[in-house]
Amino acid sequence: MGLDRYTRGTFLREIALILVAIVYCLPFYLMFAIALESTEQTYRAPLALPSPPQLGNFAEAWHTGGQSGLPPAFVSSAIITVSSVVGLIVLGSLCAYTIARRAGRLSNVVFALVVIGIILPFQLAVIPLFVAMLHLGLVGNYLGFIVLNIGLLMPLTVFLYTGFIRALPRDYEEAARVDGAGIVRIFARVVFPLLRPITATVAVFIGISIWNEFFVARIFLSGSRHETITVALYAFSGENLARWNLLFAGLAITIAPILLFYLFAQRHLIRGFTAGVKG
Amino acid sequence: MAGITLRSVGKVYPDGTRAVIGLDLEIGDGELMVIVGPSGCGKSTTLRMTAGLEEISEGEIHIGERLVNRLDPKERDVAMVFQNYALYPHMSVFENLAFPLRAQHVPKAEINARVERTAKLLGLDPYLKRKPKALSGGQRQRVAMGRAIVRQPQAFLMDEPLSNLDAQLRTELRAEIAGLQRELGVTTMYVTHDQVEAMTMGTRMAVMRKGVLQQQGPPQTVYDEPDNLFVATFTGSPRMNLLEGRIEHDDALWCVLGEQRLPVPGTNGRAAALARYAGRDVGVGVRPEHLTDPADAPHDRPRLRGRVRLVELLGSERLVKIEVDARPIVSDETIEVARDVDVTSADDVAGRGRALVTARFDAHARVDAGEVVEAAVRVERLHFFDLATGRAIRDTG
Repeated sequence: MGLDRYTRGTFLREIALILVAIVYCLPFYLMFAIALESTEQTYRAPLALPSPPQLGNFAEAWHTGGQSGLPPAFVSSAIITVSSVVGLIVLGSLCAYTIARRAGRLSNVVFALVVIGIILPFQLAVIPLFVAMLHLGLVGNYLGFIVLNIGLLMPLTVFLYTGFIRALPRDYEEAARVDGAGIVRIFARVVFPLLRPITATVAVFIGISIWNEFFVARIFLSGSRHETITVALYAFSGENLARWNLLFAGLAITIAPILLFYLFAQRHLIRGFTAGVKG
Repeated sequence: MAGITLRSVGKVYPDGTRAVIGLDLEIGDGELMVIVGPSGCGKSTTLRMTAGLEEISEGEIHIGERLVNRLDPKERDVAMVFQNYALYPHMSVFENLAFPLRAQHVPKAEINARVERTAKLLGLDPYLKRKPKALSGGQRQRVAMGRAIVRQPQAFLMDEPLSNLDAQLRTELRAEIAGLQRELGVTTMYVTHDQVEAMTMGTRMAVMRKGVLQQQGPPQTVYDEPDNLFVATFTGSPRMNLLEGRIEHDDALWCVLGEQRLPVPGTNGRAAALARYAGRDVGVGVRPEHLTDPADAPHDRPRLRGRVRLVELLGSERLVKIEVDARPIVSDETIEVARDVDVTSADDVAGRGRALVTARFDAHARVDAGEVVEAAVRVERLHFFDLATGRAIRDTG
């Protein structure tokens, strides 16, 4: 009834939303604008429109970033992100399933530890962790960094999965038990597929945070052959000279896969936050 | 196929709640036993204990010759139909039906054959590729049945399988399930809170209340001879009218309701038992169908007089609510049942000093609210209850 009427209120709401959208778009503008500017312009008038646009910046960033261009860093980031996300989803969902479905003090204690794991800042543990991992030979290689990522993001993953599983009706599992399925089949064939919305959420959430992560990667991978893309981009901002235009061109390349992934998974992502499972 | 035997089965939850107390129940091979009772009576817990989804605190459950107390659900060889069907939402109808067979590592060719046969039996063959989401309520219910049937289990366990359907579909599927069960001859434990389902479907029914079995037997026997006030009120719709009366014994036996006296036939076996209550108050029960328009009854049938408070026309008959000069029985049992049916009649039961009795008159009978009428009473079908224990007064000899 009121939906098709365009009132003054609607107009004002639209204006307000457009303003908010502009604020959100501003960083994107800055990134693409600076990425297209000449080095000289980045110091003279960084906020102005690039004139003339330097499309060559993208190619230069792609070839000169990091130790030997951005492509190897891209591959490193992809291997680390995908492996960490898969590891987190497999281990996190299993762990959360146990916590959510086993009534008892132990599972409450484990869940409390998980929550503490989310709250405690990682920076507190970074030095002892670095030393320990160095001794174990887990610094500067894929395995070490993937294990580290899985460990660091496990609390959040378990927390997200536990909430979802707790809201999942037990009937499906009970039906499967009576149908003669064992615990492995129940989890793999019945429970895990039902977790799809939250799995999508976890994959996007965790995936983006690993892809964008800089601090830990800088400490554990810097100087190795397996630098991630964020660490590789950091090379553009040297001690004496920062190549802002190349840095931003590199950033634009970096976020492209994330934007694509987000567009693709958006529907699942929202559903994971809002809905349970309908039978 | 195998029967199911429950011996002194009890369920105590960690917080001390006793959901089921000393339950003895025997379901014969191929029999359909309906367990019925209001919510919280322990019927679902009983079913879940039999399925192995709930631990058994006391007693023994046998399926066939096997003691199953400590067996996992998958080792019990029973199939269950859930109230909300619990169809796996991400699987097609075919996969849902095949799931139990795959879990038992049945060869693929046999899975296909059995799923197809089951689908055909239930008229599901056009929908095998659909997801449950794309099915109607009735179709989902059939898939749930199919998933149970395809296993060819020792027994079916059904937990209110029709309660999510609309009234008409429920009636249809009621008959369908009962027919299917007879055809397959699989021992079935069927749990419901709907006494109509219990009456129409079961070979026998078991009425539970607060974890205790109240009565079991063929539905007609339970209806005709309820063992106590609870069973009397729970079975039948409209409910049995319950009044406080007094037994008098002179040359004959009389039941006194307020100012009125109804003769109690002496031929009945319980006359002797009733005679022992002479001079005492008892509970008197009369089903609405035994309280009719005098115009349709033999002229010598005793009458009960009262003022009409409400007339409900149902098309085929008229339900006449008559206020009579007697107190209604207000016991925990009657209030509980009334509350389970609907809240207003609970207040009705609790709040009145004079009883409202329901009589069944012909649809064309001329009765109006406010009138004083007489209803003919089939006195040989009166029920009597001990007010202290709530138990039916029967011939003890």
